[in-house]
Amino acid sequence: MKYTPAQFSGWVEYNGYMSDLEDAKLAAQVTQGDEKAFLALYDRYSSRVHALTLRILNDPMMAEEATQDTFLKLWNRAHLYLAERGSLLPWLLTIARRVALDRLRLEARRPLLSDADDPDEKWQSIPDGNTLSDEHRWRSLHFAVQSLSAEHRQVIELAYYQGLSQSEISETLGWPLGTVKTRLRAAMQQLRREWDR
Amino acid sequence: MPLKEHTPFIENIPAYALGSLDAEDASALENHLKTCNSCRSELTVYRAMSEGLLAAIPPKSPPASLRRQLQSKLPSARRLSPQPLRWSWNQFALAFAVGVLVLLNAFSVFQMQSLQRQQAQLSYQLQSEQTALALLSYPGVKTLAINTDGITGTLLLDEDRNAVALFAWNLPPLPDSRTYQVWLIGAQGERVSLGLFHPEPSLPFTSFSIISSENISNFVGLGVTVEPSGGSSHPTGTRLLTVNF
Repeated sequence: MKYTPAQFSGWVEYNGYMSDLEDAKLAAQVTQGDEKAFLALYDRYSSRVHALTLRILNDPMMAEEATQDTFLKLWNRAHLYLAERGSLLPWLLTIARRVALDRLRLEARRPLLSDADDPDEKWQSIPDGNTLSDEHRWRSLHFAVQSLSAEHRQVIELAYYQGLSQSEISETLGWPLGTVKTRLRAAMQQLRREWDR
Repeated sequence: MPLKEHTPFIENIPAYALGSLDAEDASALENHLKTCNSCRSELTVYRAMSEGLLAAIPPKSPPASLRRQLQSKLPSARRLSPQPLRWSWNQFALAFAVGVLVLLNAFSVFQMQSLQRQQAQLSYQLQSEQTALALLSYPGVKTLAINTDGITGTLLLDEDRNAVALFAWNLPPLPDSRTYQVWLIGAQGERVSLGLFHPEPSLPFTSFSIISSENISNFVGLGVTVEPSGGSSHPTGTRLLTVNF
């Protein structure tokens, strides 16, 4: 089988169902030690993973290392990916987030994420048959985040892209815990309205 | 489940989906989720949203070098490239022990050679002294006193047997690159080498004895000079002492 590396510039077109089928096939081949299949997945998703690690770590060198670690995890743990539970990309991005946040916590000498945040653990405990997202929804979500108020955007940023708990956000921003909870909930509800549209 | 009991949990679902809920609240919510279908559905939506948030970042390609680095970590590349030497603690300890043993052995060999050298020198010294004692008992042996620049001693000369025995006190020790050389001095000032000796640093005196192939009675004196190790064909170094016959 011949793989053609995808050329990414800006937003990549994610081809939904067909792409998922191919991802599942490639992931299965990776479990068999197929390096070409692995590199095909790298070519397809490295720009997504790298964008996320760079967003979280805000340091090109650390982001590259985290991107590499993420794909090495894919190489070593591809057998844990279950195609019937959802698409490969969200699974891969969840791994990337965890890898990047662990690095961030190491740098800040904060405790690492617990195993409960491990993407595999999550999938095991809460079955999710409807995580198929598409490019259009992600793009809408991106603009919805941009349109949040500064406080709401900040609380989402700290909670999700910096991995802080609500108590840690309260401590960091000097806001009462109740305010953090309210703002986080309000921000997510606003994003959901866009998500459900 | 009544809405009142349900509310605190459902309010925590967005934070839980983001992984931001504090541990205690998260634990309570997880227990609730086991029995509440509507909250599980709600969580499914927020979890999909949170996954969407990860993808809602404009893609950015990593440098091309990263792909090469990653490729170099795959099994096919690792098989091609030589494996770096990695030692376990046991191997390191073993190598250290072997190193120590080699060093100890080298030290022992050095010490043994040094002892052998010392033994050979002492044996030579003993032979010289025995020769000198024997000479003393012969009639007609000349005994000449040495007293030059703080160096004292005795020279025994047996002209019948062409035997010479030299005893000297306080000879300065020499480095390995230098040696003492004994010369017979002729009437015209010519010099004939009698031999070399090196003082034993552990002994206060030095003895040198030899039966010469030359007819000693043809010579008028004896001298000692400092020469390069191995000796010289004629005196080149500092003259240490001279004895007239």
